[in-house]
Amino acid sequence: MREYSLDDEVDFLIIGTGAGGGTLAGRLAEMGFSVVALDAGAYFRPLDDFASDETEQEKLYWNDRRIVDGGTPLQMGGKNSGKAVGGSMVHFAMVSLRFRPEWFRSRSVLGYGADWPLDWREMWRYYREAELALAISGPVTYPWGPKRPRYPYRAHEINSAGRLLALGAEALGYQWTETPLATVSAPRGKSPPCVYRGFCRFGCSTNAKQSTLNTWIPRALAAGAEIRDLAMAGRIEVKGDRATGVHFHREGAWHFQRARNVVVAGYAVETPRLLLNSATSRHPHGLANRSGLVGKYFMTQSNQAVFGRMRDEVRWYKGPPSFTITEHWNYDDRKDFFGGYCWMAQGPLPIEWGFIQTGARGLWGEALRQDMLNYNHQVGLKMVGETLPDAANTVTLADEVDQYGLRIPRITFSWGENDRKLIGHAISEMTRSLEAIGAEDIFPQREDANHLAGTARMGFTPEDSVVDADCRSWDIPNLWVCDGSVFPTTGGVNPSLTIQAIALRTADRIKAMAGRGEL
Amino acid sequence: MPRISRAAPETQPAVQAAKRLNRGSAMLAASVLADSAMEHYRGGFYNPAMVTPILTSIAALSTSLHGHNDDRQRRHRQRDRLFGLTAATGIAGIGFHLYNTLKKPGGLSWQNLFYSGPIGAPAAILLSGLFGLLAERVRDTPPGETPRIFGLNAGRVTSLVTSVGLFATSGEAGLLHFRGAFQNPAMFLPVTLPPVAGALMGKATFGNSRKERRFTRFWLRLTALLGIAGSGFHIYGVSRAMGGWHNWRQNMVDGPPIPAPPSFTGLAMAGLAALALLRAHPED
Ligand SMILES: Cc1cc2nc3c(=O)[nH]c(=O)nc-3n(C[C@H](O)[C@H](O)[C@H](O)COP(=O)(O)OP(=O)(O)OC[C@H]3O[C@@H](n4cnc5c(N)ncnc54)[C@H](O)[C@@H]3O)c2cc1C
Ligand code: SF4
Repeated sequence: MREYSLDDEVDFLIIGTGAGGGTLAGRLAEMGFSVVALDAGAYFRPLDDFASDETEQEKLYWNDRRIVDGGTPLQMGGKNSGKAVGGSMVHFAMVSLRFRPEWFRSRSVLGYGADWPLDWREMWRYYREAELALAISGPVTYPWGPKRPRYPYRAHEINSAGRLLALGAEALGYQWTETPLATVSAPRGKSPPCVYRGFCRFGCSTNAKQSTLNTWIPRALAAGAEIRDLAMAGRIEVKGDRATGVHFHREGAWHFQRARNVVVAGYAVETPRLLLNSATSRHPHGLANRSGLVGKYFMTQSNQAVFGRMRDEVRWYKGPPSFTITEHWNYDDRKDFFGGYCWMAQGPLPIEWGFIQTGARGLWGEALRQDMLNYNHQVGLKMVGETLPDAANTVTLADEVDQYGLRIPRITFSWGENDRKLIGHAISEMTRSLEAIGAEDIFPQREDANHLAGTARMGFTPEDSVVDADCRSWDIPNLWVCDGSVFPTTGGVNPSLTIQAIALRTADRIKAMAGRGEL
Repeated sequence: MPRISRAAPETQPAVQAAKRLNRGSAMLAASVLADSAMEHYRGGFYNPAMVTPILTSIAALSTSLHGHNDDRQRRHRQRDRLFGLTAATGIAGIGFHLYNTLKKPGGLSWQNLFYSGPIGAPAAILLSGLFGLLAERVRDTPPGETPRIFGLNAGRVTSLVTSVGLFATSGEAGLLHFRGAFQNPAMFLPVTLPPVAGALMGKATFGNSRKERRFTRFWLRLTALLGIAGSGFHIYGVSRAMGGWHNWRQNMVDGPPIPAPPSFTGLAMAGLAALALLRAHPED
């Protein structure tokens, strides 16, 4: 790996190496820019460092102190934030979906949320590039939305849990398909094909999973980027209206790395936190925050579920948890609420299942023990649903400080009325699907949320957004935000492919601007 | 010409051709035997009928070898029956696999075609039986006469069966290699070489029977080699699965099937036998 000295004024200093930062680091390095990417987490090697063990793999999560409040305080940690080179994708569930085109024009076409300053046709191209880079294994033809090219790898053989979703969907008259997944169904480079052991959300010790860690990061390194792990950025230094570098904590001390451009890619909580923590007298409310929108419109996605028990064995833990999907309610607008959702087959591992049994179902003691014995017969459907952007859902700074002496984030969140309606609709639809296949003891998991978004939204003017379509901040021209926090709306599918597509577009735009001397 | 009941084998093209066909069908049976034993072991013999292809291919293999060691110019009743049974089992197997594929959710979908019992395996059993049946009929030809099957020139009939078999087997390899996303360029070989051989055999079936067909024979030999090389590629393929050959007990079953490609060798051998028959007994 090429290493830069602190005095080198690198072209791009990227904070965070996840779906946004990792992808951007790879492409910018390949375009010939000098790149240093910091990550607070460690650089793990899946084959050597990962165990097929739910508890051991907690080392991948962002478990630093955070304050949660609001009407429905979110549970932060493994469920929604990673801390490792590769970011949250190191333990993501590999579901790699494209947005419905209309979502880029939610406000003007569908009547809710906000429009994106991006055109879906352009995004379609970048989605393709991301799918190729991750060799997504998906169905030969995808049933919803405009035509898309064939996925680079074929869909995996679906497990029983996936088949039961299919049977339920067919009974309801909905289309279903194999979920496009970022784990290979045939060998690829150093990745053997998936062995269907189901530890995907705890890293993948097989290295079959295609995440930022084993796709974009190696490309970044090969092109001369430096990946600096265990380096926590604490403050972006600004002179006037230009960023000059970043203060980061590494090996017990603070250092300063100089840079011509700074990209923040810490995801929807750490990104606004860093921008707010970097306030100066000239930017008293935090960097890039003239609009007052940094930390506003924080979103998550609804992740409620319905579970039941089958007479026959299901063994839902075998293989990736989300083998099959129906996006029916993302594309059918005959409903009395805004936004869409999909649902996917499920396969929680035993500890997670124990949490659901005690939390959502209230089982305890002997009753819990008895019910855990049904593990192999359990079946479930889990939604990924759109949450509407709401200015009252925020990430702000608390007065408390963390281990680095940095003020910690306060995350304020409540489901809105529309969100509740959408969740209710999904729970009743998923229940119908389980009933249709003869599941027994059906019960809903009414509270769960996953992916994050918002807090540094992109838009059309300095008043309505933090960054423009190119992820460049309106206020400080050499400060960029490139991660899930730029989403104005979240859509009803998992976000990582869209984040990568945005990063790929940003890289192309940066190259074009550099060519014209506009950086 | 007086009828000679027991001619020297070297001088009896019909018997020679029959023996060649027996070798081809033995090769096919051996490939099916190893392949179906592994695949059905993987399936845990979930359905008792899953032992059938193993027993059948053992029968087909030994019957073919028996035929290969037999220089008599007469049909062997017992062998003939066994080959008939083999072919019938192949047809039943195709039916079974089709039924199992179609009854899954999604019906005739790529998912079900990729991951259900393959049509190609029972089809190979059918071919092995068919070549055996052809061999018995070819063998049963008085010297000096042209071997005939249902009144048709046996060389042409065998060519036709080979041609169809090559196309079908290539289709099967194509389906499974598409499933593997043609991730290695070598995966294109079985969808390019054998169809050419199939087309050449089609030409031989309907074309001038006096032609030498050197190129066709060359291409058949190439296809035969490909069958063997294919096993080599698949051995390498197994090494690319998690744990490689250290984890052979799992990867031999889950990785690319090592015994499958030699079906092409079996078919190519039958094709060469067909050409030899045609040359020995040309007709206009
Ligand atoms: C359990 C789980 C399952 C998921 N499943 C899916 C799925 O199936 N499909 C899908 O599309 N998405 C999924 N996601 C979501 C997806 O992983 C995220 O949306 C995506 O990774 C976000 O990308 P990002 O670049 O914004 O942030 P991240 O990928 O989270 O990367 C941020 C990185 O920045 C680093 N960082 C933050 N602050 C600092 C700082 N101050 N200094 C240095 N480094 C810092 C962090 O350590 C982290 O590595 C899942 C997420 C989780 C947690
Ligand atoms: S099921 Fe596949 S992708 Fe998931 S952890 Fe196992 S090998 Fe990796």
